[in-house]
Amino acid sequence: MLKMDKISKVFRTELVETHALSDFTLTVNEGEFVTITGPSGCGKTTFLNIAGLLETYTSGTYLLDGVDVTELGDFQRAKLRNEKIGFIFQSFNLMPDLNLFDNVDVPLRYRGMKAAERKQRVEQALESVGLLGRKKYLPAQLSGGQQQRVAIARALVGQPRFLLADEPTGNLDSNTAHGVMDLLHEINAQGTTIIMVTHDQELAEKSQRNIHILDGRIHEESSAGVLAESSTAAVA
Amino acid sequence: MFFYYLRLAGLSYKRNPILSTLMVLAVAVGIGAYMVVFTLNYTMGGDPVPHKSAQLFHVQLDNGNPDRDGDAPDQLTYMDAMALQEAGLAYRQTASSKLSVIVEPANPEIRPFSVIGRGAYADFFPMFDVPFLYGQGWGSDADQNVEQVVVLSRETNDRLFGGADSVGETVVLAGLNFQVSGVLDYWDPVPKFYDVNNGPFDTGEALYIPWRHTVEQELPRTGNTNCWKPLDGTGMEAFLNSECVWIQYWVELRTAAEEEDYLNFLNAYTDEQRELGRFQRPRNNNLFDVQEWMIEQEVLPDETRILAVLAALLLAVCLLNTIGLLLAKFLGKSAEIGARQALGAHKGSLFIQHVIEAGFIGLLASASWAQADQDYGVLIISRERLEVATSCEIGIYMQDQLVGRLFQEESRSFNLPAGDLSVRLRVLPGQMPGCSPGIEAQNNTRLHINAGDVLKYRIASGPQGMYLKKADLNY
Repeated sequence: MLKMDKISKVFRTELVETHALSDFTLTVNEGEFVTITGPSGCGKTTFLNIAGLLETYTSGTYLLDGVDVTELGDFQRAKLRNEKIGFIFQSFNLMPDLNLFDNVDVPLRYRGMKAAERKQRVEQALESVGLLGRKKYLPAQLSGGQQQRVAIARALVGQPRFLLADEPTGNLDSNTAHGVMDLLHEINAQGTTIIMVTHDQELAEKSQRNIHILDGRIHEESSAGVLAESSTAAVA
Repeated sequence: MFFYYLRLAGLSYKRNPILSTLMVLAVAVGIGAYMVVFTLNYTMGGDPVPHKSAQLFHVQLDNGNPDRDGDAPDQLTYMDAMALQEAGLAYRQTASSKLSVIVEPANPEIRPFSVIGRGAYADFFPMFDVPFLYGQGWGSDADQNVEQVVVLSRETNDRLFGGADSVGETVVLAGLNFQVSGVLDYWDPVPKFYDVNNGPFDTGEALYIPWRHTVEQELPRTGNTNCWKPLDGTGMEAFLNSECVWIQYWVELRTAAEEEDYLNFLNAYTDEQRELGRFQRPRNNNLFDVQEWMIEQEVLPDETRILAVLAALLLAVCLLNTIGLLLAKFLGKSAEIGARQALGAHKGSLFIQHVIEAGFIGLLASASWAQADQDYGVLIISRERLEVATSCEIGIYMQDQLVGRLFQEESRSFNLPAGDLSVRLRVLPGQMPGCSPGIEAQNNTRLHINAGDVLKYRIASGPQGMYLKKADLNY
């Protein structure tokens, strides 16, 4: 379970103070598929970075799978991230010099896993996205949709509890995007919790819950396609 | 993870080959320039007799012009050198000076030729640990009786006798018959510490004869002669009685007490001479050991030091440029760094990854210089630990040629072409008291050296005599 309680994030410069998130309270339960929507600059990416332990926050409490991450150091956060969270990016962020096998292998390398087990897991992950036959290919030799599938395999290879996706279909045509979404729903059906940032209202409506953020606060929540007015306070 | 990072560094190199090669070249140029100057400094400023440089002293007496300020002369007058030699108060002592002499080979097919030689006293050879291939130096009787004996350099012996053992043979020098008492092995101390006034980086002399011949035969002197006072008359007699300095004088003093006693003697001597009208400057007598003398004489010229600083600055500039290029390269990888962080890399591991990438560039730059020596291997023979029960020096013979000598606690390194090598060891006589050749089995150790090898062997001994045993490089 992911539980944020009154999380605030303030970016300060000498002249300006920007409140990216204010009193942001959210709980995501095991197995949910939650979409995050909102206009540009509303705080979606900041939320995702904090949720993924890539950024610290100014105040509040954040429990990831029961672990309070507030006081964790960089090494512990990296370890927790590696074990519990998978990331999918809009622009795939595959390593251009590494072939598909080595790209998917990256999280397991940081986990310090033995070569034989890594090989088995990587091949399993590539097979699950239908790209095992191309494991020696470089990312540049694949289409956008295939690259995103590799990125999904890389996110899943460590068997994380949470999958954080930042506009995973943003760079894809609609047909390919649907294919990727079907894959994500399939993954979610197998028990992985997914939090996805998107601009696409159609995709948001297909998720179990949609959180609409405005000015760093939760503005609306909809469940299973039903829009509901929400206060800016906590959403349980 | 180290090899994983190394592989990533290689891939990163391939991704931007031009930029990466530029970095390698920048560092390589810096390292190359610095290493050239560093090697030059090291060679020129090295200790030519490290095992006894603190026991050998150059004698300096200030008989300079009392009407002018200035440093004490670097050399001695004939009168002073002879006075010190006759006093004989040091453990060993030798006056020496360069001379020019015509050699008339016995072989009529070889035309007479002129060489630079050195007049010296018998102590010259044991004092400076001069290595002998055949025979030995002359005794002190030969000095007193001005015997016609000569020690040849290895090159001169090769020229006159085809490299054969010429001890006892006759060589005609300046029209006189000299008998060969010994032939030197390779000996070319750098700097030539015993005569830095006449070219510290000149090669060694072609032959050595008892010093008195310089005067008795009036052989042509070469090298610096400095006179602050006109001669009282003409001819050799007047020159010998003048204040002209032209003789290098060295003594061997084994302890601080001996050094103090000898300096007291020098002071007493010059005080006495002052009463006779000489040495009118304030007392300024000095004993410089080898290293002090090199510094005093500025054997390492200021230009070399400036060059070293410039080379270090060039290296720093090259490194700064490379750092700039590396930063540009790493900034271009910010998306990858972000992705790696998201996938579980902590800051420390990312830092190590990029340090290894930078190190990889530096390694390639260094390797480009090491490549120059790829045809050679290095053989180190060590006697650094006291495992052989003899205080005598041990000669190292490669392919049956003497190539080096080892005292206790020393080691020698050889750059050798790749291939098979035969190494024998034997105790060498003569250089240490009581060291005579014993009954010894000269074991032949056969080695094979590949290009790029760095092999270290230690000298061990067993019932069959001395042999080489493989040792770790850290031995």
